[in-house]
Amino acid sequence: MSRERILRELAILNEGGQVAELVTNGRDYVVYRDVPTDGARLGLPAMSDVIVPVPSGYPAPPIDLAGLPHGSTLLPRTKGGQNSQGIVQAGGSTWQLASYHPHANGGGPPWDQTKHGFHTYLDHIISWLERLA
Amino acid sequence: MNLSKEKHVVVRIGIAEAEQLKQLLFKRYPFDEWATFGRFGWRNTPNSVILTLASIEAPGPNDLDGAAGHVVINEPYTLRMALSAEKSTLGIGVFHSHPLNCAPHPSVIDDDMDEYYSDYFLGFAPGRPYVSIIISLIREQLVVSGRVFWQGTWHSVSHFAIEHNPCKTYREEPSASRLLIDRVARLAAAFGEEAAARLANSTVAVIGAGGTGSIVIETLARAGVGRLVLVDPDYVSPSNLERLHGSCPEDAERQVAKVEVARRHIRSINPNCSVDAYFGSLPHTDILDAVVQADVAIGCTDQQHSRLSLSDLSIRYLLPSIDCGVMLEGSNGKVTGQIVQLVRFLSSDPCALCRNMVSPNRLAIELMDEDEKLRRQAAAQEALERGEDPDPYWTGPPQLNTVGYLTGVAGSLAAGYTIGWLTGRFDPPFSRIQFNLVSQFLDVQEIDDVNRPNCSCGRARGWADQGIADALISAPPHWPRPMKLAQYD
Repeated sequence: MSRERILRELAILNEGGQVAELVTNGRDYVVYRDVPTDGARLGLPAMSDVIVPVPSGYPAPPIDLAGLPHGSTLLPRTKGGQNSQGIVQAGGSTWQLASYHPHANGGGPPWDQTKHGFHTYLDHIISWLERLA
Repeated sequence: MNLSKEKHVVVRIGIAEAEQLKQLLFKRYPFDEWATFGRFGWRNTPNSVILTLASIEAPGPNDLDGAAGHVVINEPYTLRMALSAEKSTLGIGVFHSHPLNCAPHPSVIDDDMDEYYSDYFLGFAPGRPYVSIIISLIREQLVVSGRVFWQGTWHSVSHFAIEHNPCKTYREEPSASRLLIDRVARLAAAFGEEAAARLANSTVAVIGAGGTGSIVIETLARAGVGRLVLVDPDYVSPSNLERLHGSCPEDAERQVAKVEVARRHIRSINPNCSVDAYFGSLPHTDILDAVVQADVAIGCTDQQHSRLSLSDLSIRYLLPSIDCGVMLEGSNGKVTGQIVQLVRFLSSDPCALCRNMVSPNRLAIELMDEDEKLRRQAAAQEALERGEDPDPYWTGPPQLNTVGYLTGVAGSLAAGYTIGWLTGRFDPPFSRIQFNLVSQFLDVQEIDDVNRPNCSCGRARGWADQGIADALISAPPHWPRPMKLAQYD
């Protein structure tokens, strides 16, 4: 993991008002705090924390997957949310990863480490949580 | 001034910056000196310090005293450097010339300047090296001396290189032994005994000790290269025997590490060649520490993470490298393509990303841990069963077929160009070339890659560890610590 690079990307988000932090628990994750969702329309939470694993060897491989707090009522409504990619413990919480792959034929552009990072992945997360089924 | 030789100190300068330095420092030749400040990145390893010139902070009109024959740096220039150092993470250095044909031996005035600056800059750039370098032109040859104040101790610079051209270091008198000259008599006759001596004083890192790497290693050991750093994470298997020079069936039966086979083979060819063999992969930090000390690195692996790492090293640490690869193509029972590719990575060349030489999704699979691989393979299978595309979960690495004569061609050429670089006798006349052994006139193609705008390779040039935020790749945390093979007695 390039800690320095990730912290630089998270600083860009923080400048724009989005709180995100790097957490480590054997593996490294980025946790985005209070990301807006389309849940209110469905009587579900309008905000959620979101976790994203830092891929091994970052920034060479694409950022992939996204997760919500374990048991979140939003999860079954998200794309890939019913296809669990694992349960993880990080930042004092339990999370469930969903099968969401924006940079691997999942609707986003192919990964380009010179353009993309955890700061741009926020767009994919917002889009993910804005399109609840 | 007491100079420590405890650490091997290497100073590396980019080709363009070296030209700029010559223009600046020799502008008052033949009699008078001139100077400039510069900024340095660095990497501190257990036995060495690697310093890389990141930028030249050239003097303005009144920054130096033009009336004095020797160098007098005016206070505003020094203060400007000091204040800007507070906002930077790089080390500070000063370059100055000595008159034409005068040895770059530090004078008493130079000692006073370095004592003053090392203390002064420490206040503005604490914990960073102060570098002082003297450059002379002696009989048309660049001769360099240097010292570095680092963690409270003065160290002498033991090795200078302008990327792929090792420079003559003051008071270092490399000479190949008579025995060595006899062994490489034909090479010495072709390129000169000085070339043989340069090879004997050179270090080459070979990344990948398989088919291509084994011919590179053999060629360099026979040519009299003084030290080889070998890196490979694999054991010999029966399918390697067709192209792995130095291997025998027993190595496959016993699953001997490829680097061990290479080391044994080198010893039988040239026992004077010092070998540091690592069972592991770039960019693990222990291997990085060893590789970054080399004069040239050669990439001989089909692993994309190694290729991307070499590209990164060429940019951030100014470590020149040549990457070689081969590919077989066929259809309808015919071999239609036997392709060899050689790629030069100098700091100003386009990086592996600019050249589209790596696939992020393949890199992801190379770098993920075994649990994740199994999980993703299972997820891909489940996707198939649901009638969905399995690719987002798992795309197996392609099986790359190859044959020994093809890896031999690629490896021999890479070793040859490396010898050209190290001896200063010739350079590869391309930055990336491909040819096909079964096409008319070999279908030689020079590929003219360009640097992509906004690529991080344009930002971190010469920044070494201080450019870590712009590194193209990092070592996965699940990788085991590489094993360094014990030295032979």
